[in-house]
This record gives sequence, C-alpha cells and structure tokens, in this order.
Amino acid sequence: MSEIVLPADTSRATGTRSSRRLRREGRVPAVVYGLGQDPVSIDVDWPELRRALTTDAGVNAVIHLEFDGDKQMSIVKDIQRHPVRRDVTHVDFLRIDPKQDVTVDVPVVMVGEAKAVTDADGMVDQNLFTLTVNSAPDAIPNELEVDISDLTIGDSLRVADIALPAGVTTDVDPEETVAVGMITRSTLEAMAADEAAEAGDEGEDGEAVEGAEDSADDAGDADEAADDE
Amino acid sequence: MPKKVRHRKHHRGRMKGASKGQTEVTFGEFGIQALEPGWITARQIEAARIAMTRHIKRGGKVWINVFPDKPITEKPAETRMGSGKGNPEKWVAVVKPGRVLFELSYHDAEVARAALDRAIQKLPIKARFVEREEGF
Repeated sequence: MSEIVLPADTSRATGTRSSRRLRREGRVPAVVYGLGQDPVSIDVDWPELRRALTTDAGVNAVIHLEFDGDKQMSIVKDIQRHPVRRDVTHVDFLRIDPKQDVTVDVPVVMVGEAKAVTDADGMVDQNLFTLTVNSAPDAIPNELEVDISDLTIGDSLRVADIALPAGVTTDVDPEETVAVGMITRSTLEAMAADEAAEAGDEGEDGEAVEGAEDSADDAGDADEAADDE
Repeated sequence: MPKKVRHRKHHRGRMKGASKGQTEVTFGEFGIQALEPGWITARQIEAARIAMTRHIKRGGKVWINVFPDKPITEKPAETRMGSGKGNPEKWVAVVKPGRVLFELSYHDAEVARAALDRAIQKLPIKARFVEREEGF
C-alpha cells in the first residue's frame, strides 16, 4: 500500500468566521493532536482529503500529514458533518506511533445468505455495524467479515464468532450480539392478517378481512407503545 | 403520548437551527430525514408507520426515532379571546432539519425506498430518503 500524504496548512485563524471563509474556499478546518504533544490547528484541501479517505482502507487510512516541513503519521479520529448537507465541516486527526497499537472502529460486513432465515420469511438483523479493535497501524483490517450462511431463526452471531486477523484484538465483550435471525413483528402481523383473511373467506363475506387487518394494526400500535416505554 | 407529565400545557417554543443529534441512520439501513423544522403529531407519526409497514408487508423492521411529548392546546371554535390558555388537544414531536425520524431495515432497497416515500407523504414537513453512511 502506498503512503497517503496529505498537505496541510497551519496558518489558519481559529473561530467561526475564519472557518466559514476557509470552507467557502474549498478547505476543511482540522486539528491534529495526540502523543503528548500540543494540538495544532490546521486546514486541508477538501479534494485531497476526500482522495485520502476513499481508498480501500476507508476512514481508517493512515495519513501522513505534511505541515511546517514535517510529516506526522495520523489517523482520522472524528469527522464532523453538516446535519442536512452532509459536507465535512471539521476533521480531528490523531497522531500515532508506528510502533504502538491504535484503537479504531472497523466495519463489520455480513457475507453469505441466511437461507434458513429468508425461507421462513425472517430477516437478519445486524446489531453491530462496527467493531472497536486494537491493531498495529500498518495492519488495520479494511473490514471484518461475518458469515451468516448457517444462521437460523432465533439464532445469533456474537463478537466471538468474528475471525480477527493475526495481531488484531478487541476489548469488546465476546458475548455481544453482531447479528440475529428473527421474524419481525410486522411479519407476524402480516401472517396473522393472512390467516384471518383465509378464515374470513371460508366464513361469510369480505368484511371480516378488513376487520382483521385493522385489528392487526392495532396490535402493532400496542407493541410500538410498549417499545417506546 | 406520555403517560404522565409534569406540566399539562407547554409554551410553543422555537425551532431555530438544525438538529443536534440523531442526524444519521443508526439502527436500520434506510431512513427518513427531516429537511425543515416542524411539529409532527402523534397521528401523523402513526399514519406514516402504517403506510410503511403496509407497503413492506413482511420481513422488515421499523424504528421510530421521534416521540410526541409536547402537548398542544387549542381554544374551542367561536370563543372570545381571553379566559386563559386553551385545552390540550394533541401531542406533537418537535423536529428540526437533519433529524432522522424513521428507520427501516429491509432486504430489498427498491421496496424500502417506496415504503419510506409513502411514509414521507404522511408528514407535514419536507423530508427525504437516506441510507446508512458507510465509509467516507
């Protein structure tokens, strides 16, 4: 993997107005801190930043920040975005030591098809989308795969089931759920409505069907209310 | 609506600025994001939920991220002004731009989008379909 170098400028003034001015000019205000050194306010070019963070490594890419004639190895600690426009408004870079492990969130990806779950009209509910791992900076996995092929209804996959690459560890509870095979409440409601419709067809007229659907919805409301509590 | 409240009648309040939290899809894969501020009544939330669940039929999971905890009072029709504040008539959730109101997990993205589009039709504010942000 080639080294990602991101040129940065340290001459920016802090504050709302100067930061907005920078963003208008296509630059992103940022800060770099860590390793017991003083924090430095910097700004980086938006296209360069996007290029640095859209490699295979994603947001966990190791970036060499180049400023004041010096190169500092860092990773992105936090990205602030505008809540509606979603453009990046600020970035936190964390200085890292190549000899020390770093703690990063790695995406968890489900692979395979849970035939037993889909055949029973169920779904695979993923609860854990990222896993916090400790790894050497040059060995951060791009993603962690978890195979859901053998998943059945009521069965769950746990953190312990994720195969971590050599040298990568996690402090997350091994019993924490990653994904669970389940039949959702809306599916159960739909099944109940179908059964009621069949019973209605066998009985009198179509009115019974609508009544059954309404009662199914009402049951859903009660469940929602219970969830909200 | 809440089971128990400290004050039966609230001030109207203001809805300046963007939402401070819950601006990303957290639980499901798809969601509805508010694009303008507004009050969403309990009835509108329920109508949106029903529209969504009826469209996906089976196999999906829905999360509702807003709760109508603000009482809204109204004076009866043809009443002279004065004589105090009106009676609590409905409950609303205060929503600011950027807030993800509903989330949905479903295996078919096309159907999920159609379901959420139907739910958006039930809301009194502009809103859009959003997906979980992965990577950068």
